[in-house]
Amino acid sequence: MNNVLQLKQLTKTYGDFAAVDQLSLSIKEGEIFGFLGANGAGKSTTIHMIASLIPITKGEIEVLGKNIVKNRRFAKSNIGIVPQEIAIYEDMTAYENVRFFAGLYGLRGALLKSRTEEALAFVGLDDKHRSFPRDFSGGMKRRLNIACAIAHRPKLIIMDEPTVGIDPQSRNYILESVKKLNAMGSTVIYTSHYMEEVEEICTRIAIIDHGKIIAEGTQAQLKSIITDQKTIGIEVRTMEGLNLEKLSGIAGVRSVEANEERREIRVSSDAEVNNLNRILKELLADGMEIRAVEERQPSLETVFLTLTGRSLRDN
Amino acid sequence: MNIWRIAVKEMLVSRDVKMLLFMLATPVLLMLILGTVLSNAFSGSQAAGDIRVLYISESGVTADELAAQAEAKGVILEQASSGMEESLREVQDGSYTGFMMIKEAGIHYYGNSRSKLENGIVNGLLTGIAERSKLEATLTELPNEGGAAAAAGGNAGLVKETLLEGSPRPGAMDYFAIAVTTMSIFYYAATAGQLIDNERVRNTAARLLAAPVSKYEIFTGKVIGNVVLNTLFVAVVVFISKYMYDANWGSNMGLVFLVLISLIVFTISMGLAISYLIKGKAAGAVIMIIIQLACLFGGSYFQVVDNGDFISVMSRYSPLTWSNEALVGIIYGNDSGELFAASEAILLNIGISAALLAASIFIMRRREGL
Ligand SMILES: Nc1ncnc2c1ncn2[C@@H]1O[C@H](COP(=O)(O)OP(=O)(O)OP(=O)(O)O)[C@@H](O)[C@H]1O
Ligand SMILES: [Mg+2]
Repeated sequence: MNNVLQLKQLTKTYGDFAAVDQLSLSIKEGEIFGFLGANGAGKSTTIHMIASLIPITKGEIEVLGKNIVKNRRFAKSNIGIVPQEIAIYEDMTAYENVRFFAGLYGLRGALLKSRTEEALAFVGLDDKHRSFPRDFSGGMKRRLNIACAIAHRPKLIIMDEPTVGIDPQSRNYILESVKKLNAMGSTVIYTSHYMEEVEEICTRIAIIDHGKIIAEGTQAQLKSIITDQKTIGIEVRTMEGLNLEKLSGIAGVRSVEANEERREIRVSSDAEVNNLNRILKELLADGMEIRAVEERQPSLETVFLTLTGRSLRDN
Repeated sequence: MNIWRIAVKEMLVSRDVKMLLFMLATPVLLMLILGTVLSNAFSGSQAAGDIRVLYISESGVTADELAAQAEAKGVILEQASSGMEESLREVQDGSYTGFMMIKEAGIHYYGNSRSKLENGIVNGLLTGIAERSKLEATLTELPNEGGAAAAAGGNAGLVKETLLEGSPRPGAMDYFAIAVTTMSIFYYAATAGQLIDNERVRNTAARLLAAPVSKYEIFTGKVIGNVVLNTLFVAVVVFISKYMYDANWGSNMGLVFLVLISLIVFTISMGLAISYLIKGKAAGAVIMIIIQLACLFGGSYFQVVDNGDFISVMSRYSPLTWSNEALVGIIYGNDSGELFAASEAILLNIGISAALLAASIFIMRRREGL
C-alpha cells in the first residue's frame, strides 16, 4: 500500500519553543489514523503544517509521495481539512457554504452541484440547504464544518477534534460518517480528546506529547506496551454500595474505574502485586454480588496515562 | 475564476436585508435633512443684503450722484475696472448681481438670472438714476448676451434690462446628494477594515488558505467583491436622490460613476491597508477617526468655503474634497472642464489606492495566515 502521508523530521518552532519536534510518521492508504495528545501536545500545529496553513520550520511533508512545498496546489487539492474551530460563513446558507469551498477545489457546473448535495446529505443536512448556520445547533454546525471539507472528495481527510461540544446524537453521526468516508476510499487523520472515539474508529494511533510521537501502532500494539500492569474486570449485579476510595487504597492498585452501563469495575494494578483476593474481599464486605471476574487488556486511557504521565483531558 | 468565486462570496455574506436597509436609509435621510434644512445657504448669489453692481458710465452722470442713489437703495456700486465683456462674465459667475451700462440714451442693465430678488431692488435704482439724470428716452438695442431680454416695468425705453443666464450652481439638495453619497462611500472603509479580521475570527481564513488558491486570489477577490457591492449600493443611493429628491447629477452619469468608483476603490484600499498596518482592534479606531476627519473637512456636513481658515486648508487633504469637486465640475462644468476635473480625481484616488494595496500585499506576504 502506498503512503498517503509521510512526515520526515517535521519541526515547528516558535522562538525557542518547539511545538512540533522532529516528528516522523507514515500513514498508508485506507487508514483511520488517530492523533492522541493532551492540550498543547502539538496535534493542531502538525495538522496545520500538513494543510499548508503555516510554514514548516524544518523537515519535510509528502502527500501522495510529493513534497508539499514543491507541489503546493497538488497537496492542497488532495486534502480536506476539518478545522478544530468551526469555520463556516454564518451569513451564507448551508448549501452556499459547501458550494463555495468545493468550488475553490475546482469543481464546477453540474458536478459542483451534485457533490455539494452529496456532501450535505452525507452529514445529514439534506433538509437544511437553505438554512443559515447562525440558526444551527452546535452539532449541526460541526456537521456542516465536515461537509465543507469533503465535497471535493479528498484522498486525505484531516479532522481536528470534530466532535467538541456536541450532543451524543451528532457525535454518533459524525463517527459513522468517518467510517463511511474511509470505506469510500478516503484516508483519515482523526484527533480527539475523547478516548472512546479513537478506540472505536482508529486503525492506528500515534500518541503525541511535547511535539514528539512517544508511541505508535494499532490499539493492540499500544496496549501490549504496558506489561508491568494488569487490569481486572469485575462484573457485579449492581453498583450499589461501591466504595471506590477503599479499592484505590489497596496495595498495588493504580486506578479504579466503574462502568455503570456494563456494571463492571475495572481495577488496574501492578503486575507483580497479588491483590485480587483483597479486592474481592472488600467488595464482598460491602455487600456486592460478584458475577464474573476476568483479566482485561489495559484501556487506551491507561496506556496514555502511563506513557505521558497526564490525562488526555484536562477536565 | 477563484477570484470571481471569492468576490461572489463577499456579496453573498452581505445579504443581510435589515442591515442593507439601514445602510440605505442613513444617506437617504441625511440628504433629505441636510438638503432641506440648509437650503438657505444655497441661494446661488452672495449673502443676503450684499447687492454688488458693476457699472460703466458713458454719460454725464457722475460717480457721486450714482453713489448717493445707490446708497439709498442699499446697493453697492462699483465702477468696472475692465471692459463690458469681462464685467458680464463676472455677473454670470455670480461675483456681482448685475452690470449697468449707462449711456446718454438710457441704461442697459444686465442682471444674473438667479438673483431675482436683488434684480428687483436694482430695478428701482435704475429708474431713479434714469429720471434724475434726465437721460434721453430712446434706447438703442444692445446685443443680447445669451440671456433673455426683459423690459423693465414702466421705464420701457429708458431702462432696458437683460437677464444673463447665471452659470449653474448646485442647490442645497444637489450639493448634499453629492456630499452624502461620497460620505457614505467613505464610511465603507470601516467595513473594509474588518474584511481580513472577519475571516480570522470565523476561522474561515484557515479553510481559504487550505484550499488550492493563493493569498493574492483571496485578497483580490475580496477587493473586487466589495467594490462591486459598494458600487451597487451607491448606485441605489444616487438614483434615489436623482428621482426622489430631483438632485442634479448632470448629463454625464458615466463620468460621475467613474469618479464614484475610484473613490470606492480608494476607500476599500484604505480600510484594508490600515487593517494590515495596524493589527487588532486599534485599526478600527484609526479608520473611524480618519473617516470622521475626512467627512468634516471634505464638506460632508457643511460646504467648506475656501477662505484660507483652518478647515479650508485641511479640506485640501480630504479625498472627499477632490472627489466632490470633481463631481461638481462634471455636473456643472463645460465639456472640457468636466474631463479635467474627473481625470484629476480619478488619478489621485486610483494612484493612492495602488500604493495602499501594494503596502497591504507586502505585509500579507510576510505574514503567517491571511
Ligand atoms: N502561533 C503560535 N505562537 C506560539 N506558540 C504557539 C502558536 N501556535 C501554537 N503554539 C503552541 O504550540 C503548542 C502546540 O499547540 P497545538 O495547538 O498544536 O496543540 P494541540 O495538540 O492541538 O492542543 P489542543 O488539544 O489544545 O488543541 C502549544 O503549546 C501552543 O501554545
Ligand atoms: Mg488542537
